[in-house]
Amino acid sequence: MKIVSNMLENIEGIQIYYIIGLLIFFTLFVVMFVRTMKKPNNEMTEIKNSILIDTDSDELSTSEI
Amino acid sequence: MENQKFYYDNKIVKLFIKATIIWGITAVTVGLLIAFQLAYPAYNFGLEFTTFGRMRPLHTNAVIFAFVGNAIFAGVYYSMQKLLKARMFSDVLSKIHFWGWQLIILLAAITFTLGISTSKEYAELEWPIDILITIVWVVFGWNMIGTIVKRRVQHIYAAIWWYLASFLGVAILHVVNSFELPVSLFKSYSIYAGAQDAVVQWWYGHNAVAFFLTTPFLGLMYYYLPKAANRPIYSYKLSIIHFWSLIFLYMWAGPHHLLYQALPDWAQALGVTFSIMLIAPSWGGMINGLLTLRGAWDKVRDSAVLKFFVVAVTAYGMSTFEGPMMSLKNVNQITHFTDWTIAHVHIAGMGWNAGLIFGMLYWMIPRLYKTKLYSEKLANTHFWIATLAILVYAIPLYWAAVTQWLMWREYTPEGFLAYPNFLETLTHILPMYTVRIVGGTLFLIGFLIMMYNLYKTMKSGSVEDNEAAEAPAFVSEGPRNPLKETVHRWMERKIVKFSIWVFIALVIGGAVEIIPMIFIKSNVPTIAAVTPYTPLELEGRDIYVSEGCHTCHSQVVRPFRWETDRYGEYSKIGEFVYDHPYQWGSRRTGPDLARAGYVGGPMYKNAAWHYNHFMNPQKMNEQSIMPNYAWFAKKELNLNLVPKKIRAMQTLRVPYAEGFDEIAVDDLLKQAKGIVADLKSSNIEIEPTKQMVAMIAYLHKLGGDIAPSVVEVGESSTETIEDIKLLTGEEDLNAAREIFTQTCVVCHGADGKGIATFPDLTDDEWISGDSPLNVYQSISNGKITKGMVPYKDTYSEKQIIQLTSYILLKLNSDEDSK
Repeated sequence: MKIVSNMLENIEGIQIYYIIGLLIFFTLFVVMFVRTMKKPNNEMTEIKNSILIDTDSDELSTSEI
Repeated sequence: MENQKFYYDNKIVKLFIKATIIWGITAVTVGLLIAFQLAYPAYNFGLEFTTFGRMRPLHTNAVIFAFVGNAIFAGVYYSMQKLLKARMFSDVLSKIHFWGWQLIILLAAITFTLGISTSKEYAELEWPIDILITIVWVVFGWNMIGTIVKRRVQHIYAAIWWYLASFLGVAILHVVNSFELPVSLFKSYSIYAGAQDAVVQWWYGHNAVAFFLTTPFLGLMYYYLPKAANRPIYSYKLSIIHFWSLIFLYMWAGPHHLLYQALPDWAQALGVTFSIMLIAPSWGGMINGLLTLRGAWDKVRDSAVLKFFVVAVTAYGMSTFEGPMMSLKNVNQITHFTDWTIAHVHIAGMGWNAGLIFGMLYWMIPRLYKTKLYSEKLANTHFWIATLAILVYAIPLYWAAVTQWLMWREYTPEGFLAYPNFLETLTHILPMYTVRIVGGTLFLIGFLIMMYNLYKTMKSGSVEDNEAAEAPAFVSEGPRNPLKETVHRWMERKIVKFSIWVFIALVIGGAVEIIPMIFIKSNVPTIAAVTPYTPLELEGRDIYVSEGCHTCHSQVVRPFRWETDRYGEYSKIGEFVYDHPYQWGSRRTGPDLARAGYVGGPMYKNAAWHYNHFMNPQKMNEQSIMPNYAWFAKKELNLNLVPKKIRAMQTLRVPYAEGFDEIAVDDLLKQAKGIVADLKSSNIEIEPTKQMVAMIAYLHKLGGDIAPSVVEVGESSTETIEDIKLLTGEEDLNAAREIFTQTCVVCHGADGKGIATFPDLTDDEWISGDSPLNVYQSISNGKITKGMVPYKDTYSEKQIIQLTSYILLKLNSDEDSK
């Protein structure tokens, strides 16, 4: 740990790290966004509907009082 | 493919549901109690066990971990089994999880009531309970991941991504924030100090909101909303995008809780930037939730379940817009330390979290008990009462926040604070606190209606503890075929890879935020004048921490003129290097105490004042809402722990001299005897080993290291005025009476006869003479050693002459008052 702390103590310009982080995020976000939007819609529909296929998905019903 | 028979474990779901309801009622009731305490201090009952400082963490922890926690587990255990077509991995782990979690809640309730607390918001529990939380949380994760591994479906549905992220997120946050050095079974010190501790704490605190109050609820939304509406989620693509964006961004935003405070600018900028960016993924979730109801809005009209879900998702959208706005520095100066934060939190808690829980319970219980909801009308009544309660609760607090902030920063034309006495700004908003009680009461009534409705529903049906089900056996699809399967779709069936990517997304933000604060020395510049706490001051600090004084009193002065004029010099990062843990607070129900030991400063009070104030705050000022702490004068310090505490501090690199632990008790007693002698000069008798003495020592340490000496204050405060003429006009005397009743009454009483040991202004005994000039100078320059604050920087020359005239012409000449 001493090596790590010695190394980290001498980092200059740490204040720009969050800007770098921001850029990395935006880059990954754009890639992820484009790839996700290119996914075929039929695959999505199948996934979306999958949770409704069981006995719990009946219409809501109550005993009116 | 042949179907496999298996059984859902409904018993564990039932247990968590019951715990949710019981703890929910408890949490809201305690919330109502502290709302009463803030409006009417008599509801502290004069008992140490029921003071606001101890009850407030009990309320927050009960809501977050008892009510919301049990609801999350109920919802997760029910939906996971259905989504994965599998029974929970291990019944034993489920039971350990349930009973372990209830034990944690019980221990929390007991320890908070006894005043055992680390004071770190939403992480106040002491180290043995922290370890227990870690174990139980690992059991939960083990059970969850085990269930995912033995599933009968290929792909993991979106709801479970959120559950997984919640498990990993909370695990990381809890472990890193809970690093503490034990001194005894009930006492530990955070290994982080001052600004570092603040960063770690709000990295945790903000992300406790994220990974306990947001991500699991988004998972629940992705399951229960489509089920209740009987419609698929609006956009699965959107769910992918907002999942990864949200879990990545949340971890960076913590420093927005520390704006304008003693923190490097880069860290504050980081918090603001990522907070604003958080709007996008948060609203992605809200949009996905609301648009799921496309074509189903007719159902919302009749269904209380869907109504609760709509309010929940809407409240989520509102809160996740409001939060980033509150992170803007110019907005933050209004919202921070005022009731705005409280209103914001309750919109999210009562709307988003409770709303989703109520909807989920109304949907799940009839299905679990194979019956119908006892009464939809009662459920709808609950909905309208709960929704009204949110508004009645939050609107007065927004009003109170803006009102108080405006009063804090109001100046007279002469350039003095218009409301120099903090209490004035508080008493002005107390009517709003009373209205808040109405909001809380309504919410509790709604909760009780729900409890009755669900009880009747449960009575009318029965749970099949082991519900039979069948599904095709799981057959691995093998390696990814790039032509048939996208990367994300492939990851959805690869639990380990998916978890690793979630972990990476989570840790980046925390690492960037915390590592530089801890390791890079230039981020925490030290101040040579700042010295470690003496053993007596440390004892006082430990009492301050355990009593939760930070819930009302901040200890950080922001660099605004209206704060430095009221409290003194703004706070620097180097002042807090020996603070394990930090005590900056997040709400000022009482004044900031960072300069309480700054002799000659506006916040300084002498030992006798503190003694009398702790004994009976309302006697000092009948409008005060502070609970009394009379037991400080009776309870003994634990001197056996003193050497251990010093050694613990040495381990944390606090520079006490080698062997200091051996003479620490002697040092403590020596300092304590000095305070006892000081109090005796005011006719107050107390033993040096009482908690009261340590508290006074601690308060006199605050800001004292960077204050000029008393001599310097005295020398610089020589008045040049040679004589004054008393003012006899009604207007002047009325203006003086107003100042007197706002400020001077605290020591001299409303009738001027003096409270406890403070001077009687109506008799013929004057410490510094009774000529108009003598009285003028006493007010202007103060009498610091006697506890009299100098008011020349608080009131104008004319106002001080008015006060002098009022004292000599009205109070001192009134025969009736003698």
